Amino acid sequence: MSAGGGGGGAHAAIPQNNIIAFGIVGGLLGIYGAYFLVDIVGPYMSFLGALGAICGIVWGAAAVRRVANYGLGTGVPSIGMLALGIGIIASTFGLAIGGIAGPVIAIVFASLIGLVVGVLANKVLNMGIPIMVQSMTEIAAAGAITIVGLSTSMIGTFMFFDEVVNGVVVAQGVATGVMTTGYIAVIFIAGGLAILHPYNANLGPDEKQDRTLACAFEKGAIAMIVAGIVATITPFASGSLTILIGVAIWYVSFSGFYKLVKRDAYRIAGSGLLPSKEELE
Amino acid sequence: MIDIVGIITEDILNILLITLGGVLISLGVHLIPVGGAPAAMAQATGVGTGTVQLAAGAGLTGLVTAGFMMNVTDSMGLIIASGTVGAMIMISVTMLVGQWIYVYGVGCPAASAKVKYDPITKDRQDLYVSQGTEGHAIPTASFISGIIGAGLGGFGGSLIYYSLLSIENGLPEVDFIGIASIFAIGLFFVNAVIPSYNIGGTIEGFHDPKFKRFPKAVVASFVTTFLAAIMGVVAIGGM
Repeated sequence: MSAGGGGGGAHAAIPQNNIIAFGIVGGLLGIYGAYFLVDIVGPYMSFLGALGAICGIVWGAAAVRRVANYGLGTGVPSIGMLALGIGIIASTFGLAIGGIAGPVIAIVFASLIGLVVGVLANKVLNMGIPIMVQSMTEIAAAGAITIVGLSTSMIGTFMFFDEVVNGVVVAQGVATGVMTTGYIAVIFIAGGLAILHPYNANLGPDEKQDRTLACAFEKGAIAMIVAGIVATITPFASGSLTILIGVAIWYVSFSGFYKLVKRDAYRIAGSGLLPSKEELE
Repeated sequence: MIDIVGIITEDILNILLITLGGVLISLGVHLIPVGGAPAAMAQATGVGTGTVQLAAGAGLTGLVTAGFMMNVTDSMGLIIASGTVGAMIMISVTMLVGQWIYVYGVGCPAASAKVKYDPITKDRQDLYVSQGTEGHAIPTASFISGIIGAGLGGFGGSLIYYSLLSIENGLPEVDFIGIASIFAIGLFFVNAVIPSYNIGGTIEGFHDPKFKRFPKAVVASFVTTFLAAIMGVVAIGGM
């Protein structure tokens, strides 16, 4: 019961290597940009973290599209949950031991677990998907970028522990600000859906890369808005700009997605309302 | 700098227990009757949703019940028993309500297409399987198999949670519980997806021929969870 369509590589207009570069470079720029600019300019710069997360989300969705096109044998959602599951483990590890290098360590270790899962899937579980190893590595790393990016935009930093000066908390860390408060669950579901949903919603014989990625941008923007709402109630990040930019990205990407849907549809016809009882008689 | 080797040698027992928990979750998923999308249309035996959703639903309930028991006692046995029973109750309710919908809503009898006679009740199965389907609803064998599977999953999940909370560190308790729970959830999802790829998305329970594939998923889960457990123990132990 393949839910992913017929086996075979997916046709892509944008080469995957460009998307990988976009995901890693954009993601890290966003995360580090938010970290430094929140200190230098002000808490409202925390929106950059969510922009980094969107880069990660688009990368993840593109990788899911490539691997799920072979037919995973189970639903596409499983791979998104796997990405975020690995991402959570690697992010906790990376941010806890890494300090300023935390996001990089998180991405490296997420890729490592992803690599191991990919190799095991092909060698032990005999899934036989040629790009499984590369795609699992990519998806896990994208999951880690998404988690670190959204956390950074929620609390304005990716430092794991509170920064305490003379007994006063001057900056909340990920441990108290995101994990203890439970916002990590929001990140888990919003980020996971953003990675798994685009391909799951668009799959089929006429699936096109640009339409799926437009959907990924749109889902990323929703995750950004959610992160902005959380940021309005956390003390060291400001949410209004995050929400505004998120809504703008959502509007642009949703209209783009709608245009692509109309382009790919054979025909769009209005059926009108159901006839009333009198009209039927 | 964190003394990585020191933490690993000190907490080697916790690493092994976490790995065992992951392996138990992986084994448990093989026993849960997952029907996937075909079962949602009553065209295959099992509950009509994916492995991840079913295992996560049962496993997370297990974590909640284990966490609740942890408020009251420190006894490892009671905490793990609470998690196990919580997951078993959750899967039973899910399967029971699903069964009502299949029987009273869709109007089909519970039947397995993989075996001729139900291994527990010895009832004939193949006569009741509609043409063009691979069985429908949840026969007795699948139901019991599901309860055992969720029990193993809940056992594994609460074992991971308990082992993570046994690591010595300098964190305030509130933060520690938050981090340990989210880490356990991450591990749970990883170990629910790996067997899901092994069984190709659908399985009826222990009587399904696909169940024989479980050693592969157990090996895969063992390696992955071991790696993740080291990372978790180093991260939490170094705090």
